[in-house]
Amino acid sequence: METVEAALIERCRRGDAEAFGDIVRAYAGRATGAAMLLLGNHDDALDASQEAFVRAWRNIRRLKCNRAFYSWYCTILRNVCLDRLRRRARRKTVDLPDDHPDPAENTGPGTLAEKNEQTERVWNAVTMLPLNHREIIVMSHFQEMSYKEMAEALGIPIGTVMSRLYHARQRLREMLEKDRP
Amino acid sequence: MSCEEFKPMMMAYIDDELPDEDRKRFERHLEGCQSCKRELSEFGSLKEELAMVKFTEPTDAELEHYWRSVYNRLERGLGWILFSAGAIVLLCYGAFVLLEEVIRDPNVALAVKIGVSALIVGAVVLFVSLLRERLAIRKSDKYSREVER
Repeated sequence: METVEAALIERCRRGDAEAFGDIVRAYAGRATGAAMLLLGNHDDALDASQEAFVRAWRNIRRLKCNRAFYSWYCTILRNVCLDRLRRRARRKTVDLPDDHPDPAENTGPGTLAEKNEQTERVWNAVTMLPLNHREIIVMSHFQEMSYKEMAEALGIPIGTVMSRLYHARQRLREMLEKDRP
Repeated sequence: MSCEEFKPMMMAYIDDELPDEDRKRFERHLEGCQSCKRELSEFGSLKEELAMVKFTEPTDAELEHYWRSVYNRLERGLGWILFSAGAIVLLCYGAFVLLEEVIRDPNVALAVKIGVSALIVGAVVLFVSLLRERLAIRKSDKYSREVER
Protein backbone atom coordinates (compact mmCIF):
# COMPACT_ATOMS: atom_id res chain seq x y z
CA MET A 1 0.00 0.00 0.00
CA GLU A 2 1.30 3.47 -0.81
CA THR A 3 2.53 5.48 2.14
CA VAL A 4 0.17 8.41 1.51
CA GLU A 5 -2.82 6.12 1.30
CA ALA A 6 -1.69 4.15 4.35
CA ALA A 7 -1.50 7.40 6.31
CA LEU A 8 -4.98 8.40 5.14
CA ILE A 9 -6.38 5.00 6.11
CA GLU A 10 -4.80 5.32 9.53
CA ARG A 11 -6.49 8.71 9.98
CA CYS A 12 -9.80 7.19 8.83
CA ARG A 13 -9.44 4.48 11.46
CA ARG A 14 -9.25 7.26 14.04
CA GLY A 15 -12.49 8.72 12.68
CA ASP A 16 -11.09 11.50 10.49
CA ALA A 17 -13.81 12.02 7.87
CA GLU A 18 -11.71 14.56 5.94
CA ALA A 19 -9.07 11.89 5.31
CA PHE A 20 -11.82 9.64 4.02
CA GLY A 21 -12.95 12.51 1.80
CA ASP A 22 -9.50 12.52 0.15
CA ILE A 23 -9.80 8.78 -0.54
CA VAL A 24 -13.33 9.17 -1.92
CA ARG A 25 -12.23 11.99 -4.23
CA ALA A 26 -9.30 9.89 -5.48
CA TYR A 27 -11.46 6.94 -6.51
CA ALA A 28 -14.91 8.42 -7.24
CA GLY A 29 -14.47 8.47 -11.03
CA ARG A 30 -13.18 4.92 -11.37
CA ALA A 31 -15.70 3.57 -8.88
CA THR A 32 -18.68 5.17 -10.60
CA GLY A 33 -17.45 4.02 -14.00
CA ALA A 34 -17.17 0.42 -12.85
CA ALA A 35 -20.63 0.59 -11.27
CA MET A 36 -21.98 2.11 -14.47
CA LEU A 37 -20.69 -0.85 -16.49
CA LEU A 38 -22.20 -3.30 -14.05
CA LEU A 39 -25.54 -1.58 -13.51
CA GLY A 40 -25.96 0.20 -16.81
CA ASN A 41 -27.69 3.18 -15.29
CA HIS A 42 -25.86 6.38 -14.38
CA ASP A 43 -27.98 7.44 -11.40
CA ASP A 44 -27.91 3.93 -9.98
CA ALA A 45 -24.15 3.76 -10.50
CA LEU A 46 -23.60 7.03 -8.61
CA ASP A 47 -25.83 5.84 -5.80
CA ALA A 48 -24.23 2.37 -5.59
CA SER A 49 -20.68 3.69 -5.59
CA GLN A 50 -21.59 6.15 -2.80
CA GLU A 51 -23.30 3.43 -0.79
CA ALA A 52 -20.18 1.28 -1.14
CA PHE A 53 -18.05 4.16 0.19
CA VAL A 54 -20.39 4.48 3.19
CA ARG A 55 -20.02 0.75 3.89
CA ALA A 56 -16.27 1.03 3.51
CA TRP A 57 -16.15 3.88 6.05
CA ARG A 58 -18.24 1.94 8.56
CA ASN A 59 -15.94 -1.06 8.25
CA ILE A 60 -12.62 0.70 7.76
CA ARG A 61 -11.16 -0.94 10.86
CA ARG A 62 -11.59 -4.32 9.19
CA LEU A 63 -9.35 -3.36 6.26
CA LYS A 64 -6.17 -5.32 6.72
CA CYS A 65 -2.99 -3.27 6.79
CA ASN A 66 -1.43 -5.12 3.85
CA ARG A 67 -4.43 -4.67 1.56
CA ALA A 68 -4.88 -1.69 -0.76
CA PHE A 69 -8.01 0.32 -0.11
CA TYR A 70 -9.29 0.28 -3.67
CA SER A 71 -9.25 -3.49 -4.22
CA TRP A 72 -11.01 -3.92 -0.86
CA TYR A 73 -13.52 -1.25 -1.84
CA CYS A 74 -14.11 -3.03 -5.19
CA THR A 75 -15.28 -6.17 -3.42
CA ILE A 76 -17.81 -4.08 -1.48
CA LEU A 77 -18.89 -2.22 -4.62
CA ARG A 78 -19.33 -5.47 -6.52
CA ASN A 79 -21.65 -6.81 -3.84
CA VAL A 80 -23.66 -3.60 -3.66
CA CYS A 81 -24.12 -3.77 -7.46
CA LEU A 82 -25.02 -7.48 -7.46
CA ASP A 83 -27.52 -6.87 -4.70
CA ARG A 84 -29.17 -4.14 -6.76
CA LEU A 85 -29.24 -6.31 -9.85
CA ARG A 86 -30.88 -9.10 -7.86
CA ARG A 87 -33.46 -6.68 -6.47
CA ARG A 88 -34.14 -5.44 -9.98
CA ALA A 89 -34.59 -9.00 -11.22
CA ARG A 90 -37.03 -9.66 -8.38
CA ARG A 91 -39.01 -6.57 -9.27
CA LYS A 92 -38.81 -7.59 -12.94
CA THR A 93 -38.30 -4.02 -14.06
CA VAL A 94 -38.19 -4.52 -17.78
CA ASP A 95 -38.92 -0.88 -18.49
CA LEU A 96 -35.54 0.43 -17.37
CA PRO A 97 -32.78 0.72 -19.97
CA ASP A 98 -30.46 -1.07 -17.56
CA ASP A 99 -28.67 -3.54 -19.73
CA HIS A 100 -27.91 -1.42 -22.72
CA PRO A 101 -27.18 2.12 -21.61
CA ASP A 102 -26.25 4.78 -24.07
CA PRO A 103 -22.80 5.98 -22.99
CA ALA A 104 -23.32 9.31 -24.73
CA GLU A 105 -26.40 10.10 -22.66
CA ASN A 106 -24.69 11.17 -19.45
CA THR A 107 -21.85 13.36 -18.37
CA GLY A 108 -19.85 13.51 -15.16
CA PRO A 109 -18.13 10.81 -13.12
CA GLY A 110 -18.36 7.31 -14.54
CA THR A 111 -18.99 8.29 -18.13
CA LEU A 112 -16.83 7.84 -21.22
CA ALA A 113 -13.86 10.19 -21.40
CA GLU A 114 -13.63 10.04 -25.16
CA LYS A 115 -16.86 9.43 -26.97
CA ASN A 116 -16.42 8.11 -30.47
CA GLU A 117 -17.81 5.26 -32.51
CA GLN A 118 -15.13 2.83 -31.43
CA THR A 119 -15.22 3.50 -27.68
CA GLU A 120 -19.01 3.45 -27.65
CA ARG A 121 -19.00 0.15 -29.53
CA VAL A 122 -16.66 -1.42 -26.97
CA TRP A 123 -18.63 0.10 -24.07
CA ASN A 124 -21.92 -1.27 -25.44
CA ALA A 125 -20.41 -4.71 -26.00
CA VAL A 126 -19.12 -4.84 -22.41
CA THR A 127 -22.52 -3.87 -21.00
CA MET A 128 -24.18 -6.61 -23.05
CA LEU A 129 -21.96 -9.39 -21.68
CA PRO A 130 -23.51 -11.83 -19.19
CA LEU A 131 -22.95 -10.64 -15.63
CA ASN A 132 -20.20 -13.10 -14.64
CA HIS A 133 -18.22 -12.14 -17.75
CA ARG A 134 -18.96 -8.43 -17.41
CA GLU A 135 -17.75 -8.24 -13.83
CA ILE A 136 -14.45 -9.95 -14.53
CA ILE A 137 -13.83 -7.68 -17.54
CA VAL A 138 -14.65 -4.64 -15.40
CA MET A 139 -12.31 -5.80 -12.63
CA SER A 140 -9.50 -6.67 -14.96
CA HIS A 141 -9.61 -3.76 -17.42
CA PHE A 142 -11.37 -0.92 -15.67
CA GLN A 143 -10.47 -1.54 -12.03
CA GLU A 144 -6.98 -2.75 -12.92
CA MET A 145 -7.15 -5.49 -10.31
CA SER A 146 -4.52 -8.23 -10.18
CA TYR A 147 -5.48 -11.90 -10.52
CA LYS A 148 -4.98 -12.34 -6.78
CA GLU A 149 -7.30 -9.43 -6.03
CA MET A 150 -9.94 -10.72 -8.46
CA ALA A 151 -9.72 -14.19 -6.93
CA GLU A 152 -10.23 -12.69 -3.47
CA ALA A 153 -13.11 -10.49 -4.60
CA LEU A 154 -14.91 -13.28 -6.44
CA GLY A 155 -14.05 -16.02 -3.97
CA ILE A 156 -12.62 -18.29 -6.67
CA PRO A 157 -9.15 -19.81 -7.30
CA ILE A 158 -6.70 -17.95 -9.56
CA GLY A 159 -7.00 -20.76 -12.15
CA THR A 160 -10.73 -20.06 -12.39
CA VAL A 161 -10.01 -16.33 -12.76
CA MET A 162 -7.84 -17.15 -15.78
CA SER A 163 -10.36 -19.45 -17.43
CA ARG A 164 -13.28 -17.10 -16.74
CA LEU A 165 -11.29 -14.22 -18.14
CA TYR A 166 -10.50 -16.28 -21.21
CA HIS A 167 -14.17 -17.04 -21.88
CA ALA A 168 -15.25 -13.46 -21.13
CA ARG A 169 -12.67 -12.00 -23.51
CA GLN A 170 -13.47 -14.57 -26.15
CA ARG A 171 -17.17 -13.68 -25.93
CA LEU A 172 -16.36 -9.97 -26.06
CA ARG A 173 -14.11 -10.49 -29.05
CA GLU A 174 -16.87 -12.36 -30.89
CA MET A 175 -19.39 -9.63 -30.11
CA LEU A 176 -17.06 -6.90 -31.31
CA GLU A 177 -16.19 -8.87 -34.41
CA LYS A 178 -19.87 -9.30 -35.28
CA ASP A 179 -20.49 -5.61 -34.72
CA ARG A 180 -17.42 -4.38 -36.62
CA PRO A 181 -18.34 -1.89 -39.37
CA MET B 1 -0.02 -29.94 -22.75
CA SER B 2 -2.71 -29.30 -25.36
CA CYS B 3 -3.75 -25.91 -26.73
CA GLU B 4 -6.91 -26.04 -24.58
CA GLU B 5 -4.78 -26.31 -21.47
CA PHE B 6 -2.62 -23.39 -22.56
CA LYS B 7 -5.58 -21.08 -23.18
CA PRO B 8 -6.18 -19.83 -19.61
CA MET B 9 -2.40 -19.39 -19.38
CA MET B 10 -2.65 -17.12 -22.41
CA MET B 11 -4.62 -14.63 -20.29
CA ALA B 12 -1.98 -14.53 -17.60
CA TYR B 13 0.67 -14.10 -20.33
CA ILE B 14 -1.13 -11.07 -21.82
CA ASP B 15 -1.69 -9.56 -18.38
CA ASP B 16 1.89 -10.15 -17.30
CA GLU B 17 0.79 -12.40 -14.45
CA LEU B 18 2.61 -15.56 -15.51
CA PRO B 19 5.55 -16.83 -13.42
CA ASP B 20 8.84 -17.02 -15.35
CA GLU B 21 8.85 -20.77 -15.68
CA ASP B 22 5.28 -20.90 -17.10
CA ARG B 23 6.03 -17.94 -19.36
CA LYS B 24 8.94 -19.80 -20.93
CA ARG B 25 6.83 -22.94 -21.29
CA PHE B 26 4.07 -20.95 -22.96
CA GLU B 27 6.50 -19.19 -25.29
CA ARG B 28 7.94 -22.55 -26.33
CA HIS B 29 4.41 -23.73 -27.13
CA LEU B 30 3.76 -20.55 -29.14
CA GLU B 31 6.80 -21.19 -31.32
CA GLY B 32 5.17 -24.33 -32.67
CA CYS B 33 1.49 -23.36 -32.59
CA GLN B 34 0.16 -20.92 -35.18
CA SER B 35 -3.39 -21.17 -33.84
CA CYS B 36 -2.43 -20.01 -30.32
CA LYS B 37 -0.16 -17.34 -31.77
CA ARG B 38 -3.05 -15.93 -33.82
CA GLU B 39 -5.42 -16.09 -30.85
CA LEU B 40 -2.87 -14.34 -28.65
CA SER B 41 -2.55 -11.54 -31.18
CA GLU B 42 -6.37 -11.16 -31.30
CA PHE B 43 -6.58 -10.97 -27.52
CA GLY B 44 -3.80 -8.40 -27.60
CA SER B 45 -5.86 -6.24 -29.98
CA LEU B 46 -8.89 -6.61 -27.75
CA LYS B 47 -6.87 -5.40 -24.79
CA GLU B 48 -5.81 -2.35 -26.80
CA GLU B 49 -9.42 -1.65 -27.74
CA LEU B 50 -10.50 -1.91 -24.12
CA ALA B 51 -7.67 0.40 -23.08
CA MET B 52 -9.18 3.12 -25.26
CA VAL B 53 -12.30 3.14 -23.10
CA LYS B 54 -11.52 5.46 -20.24
CA PHE B 55 -13.69 7.13 -17.66
CA THR B 56 -14.06 10.88 -17.45
CA GLU B 57 -11.87 12.54 -14.86
CA PRO B 58 -14.44 14.29 -12.65
CA THR B 59 -14.02 18.04 -12.21
CA ASP B 60 -13.26 19.46 -8.75
CA ALA B 61 -16.87 20.64 -8.43
CA GLU B 62 -18.20 17.18 -9.31
CA LEU B 63 -15.85 15.53 -6.83
CA GLU B 64 -16.90 17.95 -4.12
CA HIS B 65 -20.55 17.26 -4.84
CA TYR B 66 -19.87 13.52 -4.80
CA TRP B 67 -18.06 13.68 -1.47
CA ARG B 68 -20.82 15.86 0.04
CA SER B 69 -23.36 13.19 -0.89
CA VAL B 70 -21.24 10.47 0.73
CA TYR B 71 -20.66 12.64 3.82
CA ASN B 72 -24.39 13.36 4.17
CA ARG B 73 -25.06 9.64 4.16
CA LEU B 74 -22.42 9.05 6.84
CA GLU B 75 -23.98 11.75 9.01
CA ARG B 76 -27.51 10.52 8.37
CA GLY B 77 -26.47 6.99 9.32
CA LEU B 78 -25.33 8.23 12.74
CA GLY B 79 -28.54 10.25 13.06
CA TRP B 80 -30.66 7.17 12.37
CA ILE B 81 -28.76 5.10 14.91
CA LEU B 82 -29.28 7.74 17.63
CA PHE B 83 -32.92 8.26 16.64
CA SER B 84 -33.63 4.52 16.69
CA ALA B 85 -31.86 4.00 20.01
CA GLY B 86 -33.77 6.91 21.59
CA ALA B 87 -37.09 5.69 20.18
CA ILE B 88 -36.50 2.16 21.46
CA VAL B 89 -35.64 3.39 24.98
CA LEU B 90 -38.69 5.69 25.13
CA LEU B 91 -41.07 3.08 23.71
CA CYS B 92 -39.86 0.44 26.16
CA TYR B 93 -40.22 2.85 29.08
CA GLY B 94 -43.69 3.95 27.90
CA ALA B 95 -44.82 0.37 27.46
CA PHE B 96 -43.57 -0.56 30.93
CA VAL B 97 -45.34 2.41 32.60
CA LEU B 98 -48.55 1.76 30.68
CA LEU B 99 -48.54 -1.92 31.56
CA GLU B 100 -47.87 -1.20 35.23
CA GLU B 101 -50.65 1.39 35.48
CA VAL B 102 -53.21 -0.66 33.63
CA ILE B 103 -52.55 -3.80 35.66
CA ARG B 104 -52.54 -1.99 39.02
CA ASP B 105 -55.65 0.09 38.35
CA PRO B 106 -58.69 -1.77 39.81
CA ASN B 107 -61.07 0.35 37.68
CA VAL B 108 -59.71 -1.00 34.41
CA ALA B 109 -61.71 -3.91 33.04
CA LEU B 110 -60.02 -7.32 32.85
CA ALA B 111 -60.53 -7.46 29.09
CA VAL B 112 -58.62 -4.15 28.68
CA LYS B 113 -55.84 -5.43 30.93
CA ILE B 114 -55.52 -8.61 28.87
CA GLY B 115 -55.68 -6.62 25.62
CA VAL B 116 -53.00 -4.13 26.63
CA SER B 117 -50.75 -6.88 28.03
CA ALA B 118 -51.12 -8.96 24.86
CA LEU B 119 -50.40 -5.89 22.72
CA ILE B 120 -47.20 -5.04 24.57
CA VAL B 121 -45.96 -8.63 24.86
CA GLY B 122 -46.74 -9.13 21.14
CA ALA B 123 -44.77 -5.99 20.23
CA VAL B 124 -41.80 -7.23 22.28
CA VAL B 125 -41.94 -10.68 20.65
CA LEU B 126 -42.08 -9.11 17.16
CA PHE B 127 -39.16 -6.80 17.96
CA VAL B 128 -37.00 -9.61 19.36
CA SER B 129 -37.88 -11.84 16.40
CA LEU B 130 -36.96 -9.11 13.90
CA LEU B 131 -33.74 -8.38 15.77
CA ARG B 132 -32.81 -12.07 15.77
CA GLU B 133 -33.52 -12.33 12.06
CA ARG B 134 -31.39 -9.26 11.34
CA LEU B 135 -28.53 -10.69 13.39
CA ALA B 136 -28.79 -14.04 11.58
CA ILE B 137 -28.73 -12.25 8.20
CA ARG B 138 -25.77 -10.19 9.32
CA LYS B 139 -23.89 -13.37 10.22
CA SER B 140 -24.36 -14.84 6.76
CA ASP B 141 -24.23 -11.48 5.01
CA LYS B 142 -21.75 -11.38 2.14
CA TYR B 143 -20.88 -7.77 2.88
CA SER B 144 -19.59 -8.49 6.34
CA ARG B 145 -17.45 -11.27 4.85
CA GLU B 146 -16.23 -9.09 2.01
CA VAL B 147 -15.15 -6.23 4.20
CA GLU B 148 -13.09 -8.59 6.31
CA ARG B 149 -10.98 -9.64 3.38
